[in-house]
Amino acid sequence: MKETDPDTELLARVGNNDPEAVKEMVSRKLPRLLALASRLLGDAEEARDIAQESFLRVWKNAASWRSGQARFDTWLHRVALNLCYDRLRSRRERPLNAVAVEEEPLIEAIDSSPSPEEQLQHQAQSAQLAAALAALPERQREAIVLQYYQELSNIEAAALMEVSVEALESLLSRARRNLRRYLAESDRVESDRTATPGRGNR
Amino acid sequence: MTPERFAHLADAYGADLKHWPEAEREDARTLIARGDTRVLVALDQAAWLDQQLDTHHAAQPDVRLIQQVVASAFAVERPSFRSRFSNWLPRLGFVGAGLAGIAAGMLVTSLSLPLTGTPDALPSIFDHGDADLMLSLDAEESEQ
Repeated sequence: MKETDPDTELLARVGNNDPEAVKEMVSRKLPRLLALASRLLGDAEEARDIAQESFLRVWKNAASWRSGQARFDTWLHRVALNLCYDRLRSRRERPLNAVAVEEEPLIEAIDSSPSPEEQLQHQAQSAQLAAALAALPERQREAIVLQYYQELSNIEAAALMEVSVEALESLLSRARRNLRRYLAESDRVESDRTATPGRGNR
Repeated sequence: MTPERFAHLADAYGADLKHWPEAEREDARTLIARGDTRVLVALDQAAWLDQQLDTHHAAQPDVRLIQQVVASAFAVERPSFRSRFSNWLPRLGFVGAGLAGIAAGMLVTSLSLPLTGTPDALPSIFDHGDADLMLSLDAEESEQ
């Protein structure tokens, strides 16, 4: 990849302790990092920790960053992914619970001014999708988060996951198939519940 | 690109061609324009899931988190010159010691080799005059 890294110049300024560059770097990368970690971990608090820890690595490495190797954004994803892997490994015995995720306050409505009803509906859809993502096997979730939400190229996503592009495509296909199945199933359960009032009340 | 290949890629990357591998996009556009039923079905199916995926709003950074992250930039201990080059310094020392050893070896070797140049060119504690004097002293002693 010969294209120039759009972050190199900003990184050099960060390395020189330029306060404006620090703010610019935070506004450029923090939302991306937080989205990545929250979608992979399904936990808002842990996602914040990952974002903070990743930025500490940025500050420490900014002055000595050498362009020409990995793109900075790819390196940053690698750092955050490794931190996420550590978290996931440490909670292996306590697998991600879709119901727990549904109750987590990580999904924040960011719409400007929808009506309360619309807001509730958006929150419900977002929660349903969060639960569907949480129900995916880890590698499939990682593939869809990197390729779809983080908008990395297939080559970058495959390199980060240390798999071939073909293997990435297979993970993505399975992820999308599982998501479709999960969403169709939860729609069916939901329509059953509304059709038979009294059942399914918590 | 065949409709099967199109369906395979739509199944992996979704309906929005901006997510597709760059090399495949042009062929995909051509295929969509042709209006093949299998292609359009695959595209619809992928678009439905894309729409679902877009309903998920990830956590957004709040002001407190932004402030904490910005503050951490000025609190972090950046690696000093010594620690940044800590891997290099021992190696440089090692190389320096090696070069000094080579230089010392060359000096010792040069001192131990016989001189090949003309002796006249080198200073000597004995001069030819002194040698003659010593020889004549020896001769006088033996006569006595």
